[in-house]
Amino acid sequence: MNEFMNKLQQIRSGFLGRMRLIFILDLIAVFSIFYAIFIIVNLEYFLNKFSFPSSIPMKLFQPVLALVFSIIISILLHRKDDKINVINLIENKYPELNEKLSTAYDNRDETNIIVESLKTIVSDAIGPVSPSELLSKGRIISKIALTVIFIAGMVFISYNPEGIQIPGDTIDNVTEAITGEEETNTGVVDITGRPENIDNTGSTGNGSIFGKPKIASIEGKNIDLTLYSGMDAGLDVRDTSQTDNQFIKSAAFPVDVLGSNVSDGDYSMLMKKTETEKQLINKYAVERSKI
Amino acid sequence: MSNETYASSPRIFKELLDEISKVIVGQHEAIEQMMIAILCNSHALVESNPGLAKTLTISTISKALDLKFNRIQCTPDLMPSDITGTYIIEDIGGKKQFRFEPGPVFANIILADEINRASPKTQSAMLEAMQEKQVTVGNKTYPLDKPFFVLATQNPIEMEGTYPLPEAQLDRFLLKILMDYPTFEDENEIVNRYTKNITPTVRSVVSKSEVLELQKLTRDVPIAEDIKVRAIRIVEATRGKSEHIEYGASPRASIGIILASKARALMHGRNYVSKEDIDAMAYPVLRHRIILTFESERKGMTTDRVVSDLLKNVK
Repeated sequence: MNEFMNKLQQIRSGFLGRMRLIFILDLIAVFSIFYAIFIIVNLEYFLNKFSFPSSIPMKLFQPVLALVFSIIISILLHRKDDKINVINLIENKYPELNEKLSTAYDNRDETNIIVESLKTIVSDAIGPVSPSELLSKGRIISKIALTVIFIAGMVFISYNPEGIQIPGDTIDNVTEAITGEEETNTGVVDITGRPENIDNTGSTGNGSIFGKPKIASIEGKNIDLTLYSGMDAGLDVRDTSQTDNQFIKSAAFPVDVLGSNVSDGDYSMLMKKTETEKQLINKYAVERSKI
Repeated sequence: MSNETYASSPRIFKELLDEISKVIVGQHEAIEQMMIAILCNSHALVESNPGLAKTLTISTISKALDLKFNRIQCTPDLMPSDITGTYIIEDIGGKKQFRFEPGPVFANIILADEINRASPKTQSAMLEAMQEKQVTVGNKTYPLDKPFFVLATQNPIEMEGTYPLPEAQLDRFLLKILMDYPTFEDENEIVNRYTKNITPTVRSVVSKSEVLELQKLTRDVPIAEDIKVRAIRIVEATRGKSEHIEYGASPRASIGIILASKARALMHGRNYVSKEDIDAMAYPVLRHRIILTFESERKGMTTDRVVSDLLKNVK
């Protein structure tokens, strides 16, 4: 083999070695970024919440997923590394070798006086070429610096997630907003739409219908299936008198005896009563409150 | 021998150009292109107005190269045998016999002046000699001496009574060289040199064998693959859809560009072909091989401008 070809081979090997180093730096940097993101978005809580089926323990899932992503991205970023034309890089860096090196390389199997003289010139000129000079030092230094910064950031976030990590409640709220489902421990939804603490108010034995959904779509029309207590159920004074003192004061209602402890439906029904009936009910309520 | 010639080639070319410049003022590009055509063992077509030293240039080159030079002034009544030679009856010892009398084509450098004035039949005989480097008269073939170089000239004006060379025959010329009017300084120097009693002369600086060696060395000049690809792409681009080009160049143009670039590299003392060589040689190689559309010609477009655009567009 020609002398310059041996030297070229050495340079190429050295260059590819440095490219591998850059690949590893990129891998670490991307891993750090993904791992930090997973901690911030509280991926572990999210996966636990949905009982994500996995053979990998949940604790290990974040780093494994970050590693997989970082390998894929690093491979994509460096997919053309092997195709980098080292000869072009040398020729760009060393103008005295411009066109000569590529010509000598392309005619490496030729033997005539002109080609031999060219090979001799190239062999002499390629001597001082170093693989480290083919990659800009600034690029390597910035890669190392960025990698260190990302690692530091990842370590900081993983040890001090408070204030940075998205809390589980927020995730619950967001998932609720996205899915439109209210979280219950049993996973069963009460579609009556009544607050728990006025459970008995106005109930006339309609019973509760369990299950989804509250909104049904029939022939493209959304129908609210929520059953409001008291609606069309013949609520009367007696029913109201049975109400516990567990009501929640609502700002939507006027603060008066008449409307303070009745539900939305009950209130509208009371408002339909005559003035005499209203006064009677009011009086009853005042007297009852003294007991 | 090759080694010695290669080693001394920079000196040879320098001495040669110095010697020619004793007689010819300016026209460096035209002289270089004529030398390139000789090194490529090919032929060139020169187009220039009258009085621009075409004959003087080529005769000076032949003297400097120590080669036999003949000039053929082409006219409509010039016969093929006037070029190739003919059999004459000779009386030898009372016995009459035919003897072949070689024509002017039997020389190393031929100047076919105003080739477009010769009849197509005579042009054809000349072009056959150029291509085959041999002449057949009767049933006998006579090889031409080596090196064999034809420089044909065409006058761009006075087109009446001419037989323009067909495109297929133009393709046989490696280069089309343009000789322009000299600059004021050059013309001043010409006047100074040629208005004195002493006429400048040249001496032979290169032997015939050295010219042949240089022709061999030209083909040995290496070329990088990407540069070769660029040359081919340039020629290929002439065949694509273009508003200016009616007909593009043949693969002979690709060979021509690469070979001429090798010769140029050798003349410039380089042992490799540069992109610069390809760009420089694309003009003389392509300018007579591209036929412009009528519309482009009408708008005053030239083949050199088209080649310039091609060079910009081809990577």
